[in-house]
Amino acid sequence: MSRRRDNSLEMVKHVLMAIVIALVIYPYAMLIILSFKNNNQFYSRPWVITFPLHFGNYGAALEALVRYVGNSLVVTSATCFGVVLLSAFSAYVFARFEFRGKQFLFYAIISLMMIPGVLGLVPRFVIVKRFGLLNTYWALILPYIAAGQVMGIFLLRTFFESIPKDLFDAAKIDGAGDFRSFSSVAVPLCKPTMATVAIINVQFAWNDLIWPLVVISDDKLKPLTIGLLSFQSQFATYSMTRWGPLFAGYVVASIPLVVLFMIASRAFVEGLTTGALKA
Amino acid sequence: MVDPMRFEPGQTRARRRRVRGVLQALRPGRFYLYLTPTFAFLAVFAYYPPLLAFYRSFYDWDGVRIEKWAGIGNYVNMFHDEVLLRSVWNLAQLTVFAVAVSVVFPLLTAELICSLRNRRAQFWHRVLLVVPMVVPIMVQLLLWKFIYDPNVGLLNALLRLVRIPSQAWLHEPKLALYSMMFMAFPFVGAINVLIFLAGLNNIGQPVFDAAKIDGASVIQRFFRIDVPLVKGQIKLIVILTIIGTLNGYGTQLILTDGGPGYSTMVPALRMYQQAFRFNHLGYACAIGMALFAAIFGLTFINMKLMRTDYE
Repeated sequence: MSRRRDNSLEMVKHVLMAIVIALVIYPYAMLIILSFKNNNQFYSRPWVITFPLHFGNYGAALEALVRYVGNSLVVTSATCFGVVLLSAFSAYVFARFEFRGKQFLFYAIISLMMIPGVLGLVPRFVIVKRFGLLNTYWALILPYIAAGQVMGIFLLRTFFESIPKDLFDAAKIDGAGDFRSFSSVAVPLCKPTMATVAIINVQFAWNDLIWPLVVISDDKLKPLTIGLLSFQSQFATYSMTRWGPLFAGYVVASIPLVVLFMIASRAFVEGLTTGALKA
Repeated sequence: MVDPMRFEPGQTRARRRRVRGVLQALRPGRFYLYLTPTFAFLAVFAYYPPLLAFYRSFYDWDGVRIEKWAGIGNYVNMFHDEVLLRSVWNLAQLTVFAVAVSVVFPLLTAELICSLRNRRAQFWHRVLLVVPMVVPIMVQLLLWKFIYDPNVGLLNALLRLVRIPSQAWLHEPKLALYSMMFMAFPFVGAINVLIFLAGLNNIGQPVFDAAKIDGASVIQRFFRIDVPLVKGQIKLIVILTIIGTLNGYGTQLILTDGGPGYSTMVPALRMYQQAFRFNHLGYACAIGMALFAAIFGLTFINMKLMRTDYE
């Protein structure tokens, strides 16, 4: 094969790939362009950037969404904190110590991955209702922590087992108890894996749609996912839709995860692929 | 209660030794104590619900007052539920389509990325593919709602450019289900592409070089080497897609609520509606059990059929 033909083949591949990427990215680029338009611009020239840009759209959207974003931040950070703490500690116990029934208990946790979420939905609702937790943050946080632990323990245990036992023995000789050797030896070493677990759960808690729809009806407590539905009905009414602020709101809703992605893109990509195996 | 750790001044040495002995004997027991928080959460929100679902699937149950033993009545009713039967057919179509496109397109894309000579380009394509994953699912759904909008939607606007008449997409019974299938367009979900890329990178350059020396064409290499060697990844994605499709109904709930008519109804959505709109919680539990059985069965068949001997 001549060098030249090789190069043109390479060009074709790049063009093909560019088309794929363009198709993937285009709707989101469109979203951003549309978010700066007023209704006149939206109806007359939807495809191109039009001036003046209406930054005011973002003000209106932010005002309507800020409460939902706040709710989501509370729920997501509490979930994340709970899952990482609990699953790191339990994974540490499983990896570090020997005791009767350890294998059984571990498989009892892992086997939960086989149970599809749809099966537990109705009973979980009944349980939360009995506890009187409907329309509280707890109705979201507690089940999320329970669900998130399973994958967290699985990932972190594998990691803890790869830490040389000598490190823990050294800590023990220096007089560290179980908790001290957890906080001073185990946790500092497994920060990257903990970040991955955290990201999986941020992604999950930020995006979950059906559970909040079931347990939260008070508009003041709605997380962003279902808050966006109220937001949408507020800006898109039968008489008139205010397209600009509507799309600005969609952009605003995406910003927190985009920021997180920029800060921790490596952990993010890892979290996505391992999260996929969650089944 | 006496705190065993606190020693009163009057305590004898013997007693002290005895207490310490008891604590020593209990020491291995502390591990169970450590695991208590985890298992407390799991007991309430992970172990109990499926068991309760199984138990209540034999009841006529509204979650509050009505609570009557129904035997297998709920399960029998499922076969007379026209909407549910229709939804099973919808789900079958959705699943077959989803499985096909989530294997084929990501695999081809991964091949394309993998074959690029420029490392930097490889990296950037991967990053750009991940971008949609960062956009909240709800925003993606609402965005697609706009794309399919009959009046101002993006898709109709595009079609008008090439003089094809506008369609009502999600509002048209004949089109709604297909519109839903195409919402994944262009079908190159980042996760699947990344999984395939990992698989292809594992094959290693020597194998590719050997194929080239033996004069294998690109097509031959693809079918004879790449596909068999990423069979493990294909299996994984098939299983994940099946589970995801059977489990998921957020799209239907938000965009069409199963309509128009019942043209986009799926069993999980039927379950949701029966539980939270009609208070037929027992019946909903039975549908949940059926879905669980279906997911379990399909996963098992998949494992058996697509055996990978070299793992």
